[in-house]
Amino acid sequence: MISVEGLHKRFPSGLEVLRGIDLTIGDGEVVSLIGRSGSGKTTLLRCINFLEEYDSGEIRLDGTPLWYRTATGGDRTRLPESAIRGLRQQMGIVFQQFNLFPHMTALENVCLGPSFAHKRPEAEVKDLAQRLLERVGLGGKMRSYPYQLSGGEQQRVAIARALAMRPKVLLLDEITSALDPELVGEVLEVIRSLVLERMMMVIVTHELRFAREISHRIAYLSRGQITEIGPPGELLDNPQDPTLKEFLRRMP
Amino acid sequence: MLRLLLLGACYTLGLAVAGITCGTALGLILTPLGFLRLRPLRALYHVYVFFTRGTPLLVLALLIFYGLPVLNFSQGPYVAGTIVLTIYSSAFFAEVFRGGALAIQRTHLESGRSLGLPPWAFLRKIIAPLALRYALPPYVNVCVMMVKASSILSIISVWELTLAAREIIERTLLVFTVLGIAAGLYFIMCFGVDRLGRRAERYLMQRGFVGERA
Amino acid sequence: MRFVNWVVVYGPNYLSGLAWTAIIALTASLGAIVWGGVLLLIRLSGRRWANLAVETYVQLFRNTPVLLSIYLIYFGFPLIGVVWPAVICGGLALVLQNGAYISEIFRGSVKAIDLVQFDAAKSLGLSGWGTFRKVVLPQVLVYGLPSLGGQVILLLKDTSLLSAISVAELTMNAKLLTEQTGAAYEAFVVVAVLYLLLVVCLEVAARSAMRAVRWRPRHDAL
Repeated sequence: MISVEGLHKRFPSGLEVLRGIDLTIGDGEVVSLIGRSGSGKTTLLRCINFLEEYDSGEIRLDGTPLWYRTATGGDRTRLPESAIRGLRQQMGIVFQQFNLFPHMTALENVCLGPSFAHKRPEAEVKDLAQRLLERVGLGGKMRSYPYQLSGGEQQRVAIARALAMRPKVLLLDEITSALDPELVGEVLEVIRSLVLERMMMVIVTHELRFAREISHRIAYLSRGQITEIGPPGELLDNPQDPTLKEFLRRMP
Repeated sequence: MLRLLLLGACYTLGLAVAGITCGTALGLILTPLGFLRLRPLRALYHVYVFFTRGTPLLVLALLIFYGLPVLNFSQGPYVAGTIVLTIYSSAFFAEVFRGGALAIQRTHLESGRSLGLPPWAFLRKIIAPLALRYALPPYVNVCVMMVKASSILSIISVWELTLAAREIIERTLLVFTVLGIAAGLYFIMCFGVDRLGRRAERYLMQRGFVGERA
Repeated sequence: MRFVNWVVVYGPNYLSGLAWTAIIALTASLGAIVWGGVLLLIRLSGRRWANLAVETYVQLFRNTPVLLSIYLIYFGFPLIGVVWPAVICGGLALVLQNGAYISEIFRGSVKAIDLVQFDAAKSLGLSGWGTFRKVVLPQVLVYGLPSLGGQVILLLKDTSLLSAISVAELTMNAKLLTEQTGAAYEAFVVVAVLYLLLVVCLEVAARSAMRAVRWRPRHDAL
C-alpha cells in the first residue's frame, strides 16, 4: 500500500507544482493519473520513487515512511544513498522513451537490475529474465539490441526489466505517448495482464479509454492538486469539477 | 632522402602515440573534476581547459621547453615534446569525455537509478559504455589533431617529419618534392587514424546502436 | 614581484606583435571565410568534377599540418618566381588551410537547411546564383556561427606558427625578448596571457554576434 500525505513541491523557478497531494493506493489497485500538461501528474509519479525531491509531506510504503527521516523536532533528513537505492528497488518505473540501454541486448537489459542490485547468481537471473521476456511476448528477441526492436517492443522489454526487480508497485509514465498508434495495443495488452495479476500500479496516461478499462480509480490533477478522484465510471461520465469537464470535452 | 623522411614519419607517429596515450590518461583523470559537486574544483577544471586550449601549441611548447630546465628536468627534446603533447591533448580529451558523458540521455540515467544500481556498477555498466560511444568520433578527431600537432614540435628542435623536411629543403631546395612527400606521409598517417576510428565505431555499432556519425 | 617588474618594463615591446597578430588573424579569417564560401559555391554548382575536386582539396588540407602549408608557400613561391613578404605567404597558407575547414562548416550548415526551401526558391523562379545569395548564404552564415567562431580562434592560434618564418607577430616577439633578456618564463607566460585575452575577445564577439542574429539551435540537427 502506498500513501501520500500533504505532498508539496516547488520548482526552483518558484512555480509550485504540487500543492498538497493526498493519495492512498491499496495493494493490487490500479490508479491512473490524468490531467493537462503541467498539472503535476508526472512530477507526482517521480516523487513517489524519489526521482524528484519534494519540499514537504510524507510518502509511505506499507506504513514505512520513505526517502526522509523525520526527527522528533520536525527536521527531516534524507536517508543515506544506500537506503534510497534499496527502497527504489521495490518500485519499478517505465518512462515514455529511451528506457533501454542501447548498448545491451534485451536480455542483458532485463538482467541488469537483479544481477547488480539483488546480487543474484547469473544462471538464476538469466532464467528469470528469459521467462519475463516470454511473458511480455518477446521470447524470440532476447538477443536483439534496442535499435532492432520497434517502439512497442522496446517498451515491453522495459516493462520486463522493471518486473525483474519484483517490485511492489509499478509506475508508468505515459509509456504509450511516444508510440505509433498501431504499436500501442501490444503494450496495453501487457498492462492488462499485469492488472489480472493484481499488480499495484500508478499510471500517468492520456489514453482515457484504456484508463477507464483497467483502473480501479482515476485521479484528475489540476494545478498541483487532485481535484477529483473516483472510479472511472463516475469520474469520466459524471465529472463534477469544472476544469475536469473542460478537459474531458477536449479529449476524444 | 626518402628514407630520412620515412624515419621522420616514424618519429612523428611515435610522438603522437606517446602524446595520445598519456594525454588520454590525464584527460580521464581530469574529466571527473568537471563533474564534482564543489564549485571551486569544477572551476579548476574549466580554468585548466581554457588555458590549455586557448594558448597556441607553439607558445605552450616554448613555455615547457624553456621551463623544464628550470625545474632541473632535462631529459631531451623527445620527452619534452611528449610532455607538451600530453598536456595539450589532455584538455581536449577531457572535454571529449565530458561531452560523451553529458550526451547520455537523461532517462537512461534515471533507469539506472530506479533499478537501484550501486554506484560503481552504474559507472561501469551504464555511463562508461554510453559515454565512450558518444565520445568516439571526437576522440578520433583529437588523435588526428595530435599527429598534425607534432609538426609544431619541429620548431623547438624536436626531430620529426616536418623538421626532417625542412632540413632537406634548406640543403637541397627541392621544396615541392620534399614537401609533397612529407604531406603524403602525413596524409597517410592521419587518414589511417581516421579509418581506424571508423572501424572502431562500426564495431561498437554492432554491439548496440548509439549515436550517429555524420 | 619580479614578474610584475618584467611586465612593466617590457610590456610595450609586445604591442607591435599583438597588433600584427590581431591584423593577421582578422584578415586571414575574412579571407578564409570568403574562400570557404567560394569552395561551397563550387560544390553546389552541381558539375560532376566540382564535388570531387573540393572534397580532395578539403581532405588534403585536413590531413596535413598547417606548418607544412606555410613552408610550402614560403619556400616554394620564390622558386617559381613569386617573391612575396613572409607575412603574405603565411597569411595565404592560413587562408587556404582554414578555408578548407570553413567550407566543411558551411557544408554542414547547408544540410541543416530544409530541402523545402530549395523547392520554394525554384518555384519562385530564383536562379542558382540567386538562391545561393538569398537563401543559402545568409542561413549558412547564421547556422555556422558558433563553429565559425571556433575556427577563427583556431586560426588565431595558428598565427603563432608564422614565427617560424620570421614574421614579427606575438610569438616572435616573445622569442626575441627571450634571447635579449634570458627571461624565458616571463616572456612566454605574458604571451600566453595575451593570446588568452585575444581568445576571450573573440568569444565575446562571437557571442554578441549570435545574440544579434538571435541564434537558436536546431532541434533536429545533431
